[in-house]
Amino acid sequence: MSNKIFFLLVVILFPIYGQQIDIHSPKNIKKFADFLFCDKDYLRAIDEYKKYLQVVEDDTANYKIALGYSLINDQSNALQEFSSINNSSALYEQSRIEVLKSLSLSKSDSAFYLLANNLINSKSQFSNNAQRLLNTSILLNENELPDKNKFLIPFESDDKLLLGNYYDLKINPPYKSETVAGILSAIIPGSGKIYTEDYGDGITAFLLTGLFTYLAYTNFENDHQTRGWIFIALGAGFYTGNVYGSVASAQIFNAKVNFNFENGLKLFLEDKNYFTPAYDFCK
Amino acid sequence: MIFVNKKILVIILVAITNLHSQTLKDQFSYANELFNEGKYFDAITEFKRLQFFDSENQFSFQSNILIGKSYKAGAKFDDAIKYFTLAEISSRNDEEYFNSNILKARTNILRRTNHQAERILNELLVDTKFKSKENEIKYWLGWNLIFLDEWKKASKIFLENNLDTTLSNLCISVDDKMYSVNFAKYSSYVIPGFGQFYTGEYVSGLLSLSWNVFAGYLTVNSFIEDRVFDGIITANFLWMRFYSGNTQNAEKFALQKNLEISNKALNYLQFQFKGEKP
Repeated sequence: MSNKIFFLLVVILFPIYGQQIDIHSPKNIKKFADFLFCDKDYLRAIDEYKKYLQVVEDDTANYKIALGYSLINDQSNALQEFSSINNSSALYEQSRIEVLKSLSLSKSDSAFYLLANNLINSKSQFSNNAQRLLNTSILLNENELPDKNKFLIPFESDDKLLLGNYYDLKINPPYKSETVAGILSAIIPGSGKIYTEDYGDGITAFLLTGLFTYLAYTNFENDHQTRGWIFIALGAGFYTGNVYGSVASAQIFNAKVNFNFENGLKLFLEDKNYFTPAYDFCK
Repeated sequence: MIFVNKKILVIILVAITNLHSQTLKDQFSYANELFNEGKYFDAITEFKRLQFFDSENQFSFQSNILIGKSYKAGAKFDDAIKYFTLAEISSRNDEEYFNSNILKARTNILRRTNHQAERILNELLVDTKFKSKENEIKYWLGWNLIFLDEWKKASKIFLENNLDTTLSNLCISVDDKMYSVNFAKYSSYVIPGFGQFYTGEYVSGLLSLSWNVFAGYLTVNSFIEDRVFDGIITANFLWMRFYSGNTQNAEKFALQKNLEISNKALNYLQFQFKGEKP
């Protein structure tokens, strides 16, 4: 082995091993942070990126901190971190749509609408995403909706069909009137529950109220006062319970309609990841 | 000259490798220190850092065990079991395999996945390699039975080979205090309210008895007066309602009282028992 080769080997190998040894060097901290981030251990990844940023300026690390906060649903810190992304950064455009997502999740309505409109008017590459998120949020939170065709324009054809159905549900929710349910049950016991599609309870209420009324009547007719009053009390209990139960049943029915509507739209938004871009940080 | 150079090169490489190994040892010591200080979040971070740079998996077993213990200390039982399983995979001898499995079983006991714990412990028990560890395995089987609310069976296990007489006595006393759920339920079938009296719920027992006597009287009276349909309806909707309610109530009281007794015992075990706990 010549001296040249020997020195060459030492020169090449020493820095390689040297780098491996200092596991707290900025480069290794970043490597470890990236590993934690891709392992979905976001809280620890954030700590490591923060350590790394104390010595190195890196807007990707900054962005990952913000994204980490967003992914663990700490929207307040996510907003703070995304807002610190400089507009000269390559990730600035993405950060704006992420801010919009965080605002949407933290229910900051006025700031959300302001930023959404800014993004839509700015003609950025994510204008359409902002428009989609805005429209879905309007559908979820507002009572007044724009025209259906105009509303569906930014969406892809599959989503148009689904959101078209939600739009119709928002305009004409299939609610049941509590008053109607109560009055129906007051006239014909159980009919209010049948109106609210609670068929089993409706039929039971009808049969039991009818039965106790009949038994009370026939006992009084045959001068069995005590049993007559007992059946009256039972019948009255079932009758009152049936009217009250029908109103409650209508309330439950309407709550289910609202729940299914909101849950369906939230699942849609989660499925679309709030129209934020996909990242290749962990490839 | 070539020979000398080769030697120097090997020495340099070995020295650098040792330096790297020393760094990992230092990192392990640091993480271990954090663990001993009870700083479990930081300890996990530092053990994970160690694993990330430990390309030859020198510290794989120890770090996985200690990460698992840290998660266990923070009641993150799912994560703890994941790391104990990784420790089991990276175990280098029977002792390490045994220890990782025992920790997995203990975490399963705390997670209340007791059948999983039972399966792990029984597998170790039938393994001839761990014949000498039989007492330790049985000790944890006893604890598993405690968490399954099988106090009598647990006391028997703790008595075997005098494993732990304190625990055995405690289990016997808990079992003695327990109410028989079946007795409470079925005695109420015979005399309504009896099960409630048995569990010390006298007012409830008296009310149950009164309602049943009243509804029974109305039913019998209807039949006596030839009001058969009235009798059937009264029996069905009044008497049966109070009768079945009375038995369900007695059963509920017995279960509730037993839960109070076992919770009190578990509370004692958690805070005052000095021996080893899951």
